[in-house]
Amino acid sequence: MKKTIILTTLIALLCSCNPETWNLDITGMFSGSSAGINTRVEDSFRYNDEHGFPLINATAEEYSTYVCTDTHVDFTRKGWEQFIHDYRADLTCPLALHLGDLINAQRHWDYMRRPLDSIPANPLKRDTLLAITGNHDLYFNQWKEYLRLWKRSTYYAIVRTPLGKRDLYIFLDTGEGILGQKQTEWLKQTLNWADKESFRHIVVCTHTHLFKRDTSQGHTSNMPLEETYALIHLLKQHNVELFLCGHDHSREITNLGTMTSIIIDALEDTGSHPAYLIATMNDRPITYRFVDL
Amino acid sequence: MKRISTLILLLAALLPAMAQVQYGTNQYAVRLNIGYLHNTTYGSYAGFDIGAFMPINEHFEMQADLRFTTANTHAIGVQLRPKFALPVGEMFIENRLLAGLYPRDGINDVTEALAVGYRMEYVSVQFGMSTRLIMQSPYNWHESQNIIVEPFNFTYRIEAFVRPHTSPWNISMCISNMTDYQIERLWQPIFMAGGLYKIDEHWQVNLSALCKPTGMFHLNAKYYAAEVRAGFAYNF
Repeated sequence: MKKTIILTTLIALLCSCNPETWNLDITGMFSGSSAGINTRVEDSFRYNDEHGFPLINATAEEYSTYVCTDTHVDFTRKGWEQFIHDYRADLTCPLALHLGDLINAQRHWDYMRRPLDSIPANPLKRDTLLAITGNHDLYFNQWKEYLRLWKRSTYYAIVRTPLGKRDLYIFLDTGEGILGQKQTEWLKQTLNWADKESFRHIVVCTHTHLFKRDTSQGHTSNMPLEETYALIHLLKQHNVELFLCGHDHSREITNLGTMTSIIIDALEDTGSHPAYLIATMNDRPITYRFVDL
Repeated sequence: MKRISTLILLLAALLPAMAQVQYGTNQYAVRLNIGYLHNTTYGSYAGFDIGAFMPINEHFEMQADLRFTTANTHAIGVQLRPKFALPVGEMFIENRLLAGLYPRDGINDVTEALAVGYRMEYVSVQFGMSTRLIMQSPYNWHESQNIIVEPFNFTYRIEAFVRPHTSPWNISMCISNMTDYQIERLWQPIFMAGGLYKIDEHWQVNLSALCKPTGMFHLNAKYYAAEVRAGFAYNF
């Protein structure tokens, strides 16, 4: 028994040393090899300082935002391709979001990105795809790869309608299940600024979830309790209307007064019910529907 | 920073530990601790806690805990523990009711945990489940969902001691998702450590520490919280 435990541990640790042959960075359970949250936030801030924040123009007062998460692309990407095809085909969609776990493990970044080039853009409109990092996008030091392709994970984007109304989307990096000090401070500043700017809607997106009410799919990790409560307080204080996240792979909707928190189903091909969400943004409260694949 | 966080994780796992539950003792006890606490959400803050251990009879013991912190988060906990002696060690059922008060965030939570455990001189293990109610404070009747229920969460606690409980001193190490003041979710383990020294029949000094990393099961573990507590206990 003792020998088996020692041997299994050794094999796991040795496999962790070779990302080419193993998908799980076991040593990361004790000392993560990818950049920590504060370093990643600084990387994102650097890009924000140099390139500013995305400003997207909607062509009507009412528009659709397509949101998917947990595509976990490895050797198949049917759901992901369908999502790209659908948001590009929809003339009312100027913005699509991916809430993390874009890939399942290292070595699949380029395979994941390829449909963005191969599926033709819609000549009748302009759209933007934005993403944040998930835990699967991080370990084995994948933050560098994520940055190469997606540039940042802590930022905001504004969608402006023809009549000048603006919706704010805030993206937070919770790839290792924590917001961290710098990102929390930035979020506070951004929400204080948003209060003065009178946005029509405020949407906050993370990878990990606030609550875990449905345990039918098992448990998934999320932010520590202290941070979860502090975040809920902050979001409600600043009238955030919609909190979108993934990570859990199964749909869960929680109404907290004027704020709705939604865990969106995973879009991975091997999932039991792959789906994505379409939010309708207009002058009324945000509505949404799920598209089951 | 990476080295520092690795060091903190290792230290927390290796530090001499104090058994939070005083196994095998049949003396009533009151303990007082002050602590330095830190997490990346609140920064540094101080904690003051008081606890009472009550071995009602040979089959039943109770524990009550109260904590105040300068971060304006507080906790009240009660543990009821029926126990049954076995030829080796004893089996116990732990019923834990914990109220977490977070006035700074306008949130309170109540967690009920039920676990089955087995303890011997040098090892104690327990596994169970908990249910948590998360409530907004003050309660707002105009909102549609004031109470969030997380119905099932697994709890665990594995603790090892280097000395038998009759020894005047002891050290232990523990991994669990529960402390006396908080029950975390399944994938958020907390490493605890500490030590105790019995000065005489009545007085005892305690030292304990804990480390709560985050992201362990995201395979990118980083530091989240730590605390060091020191105090004494009076055994009646």
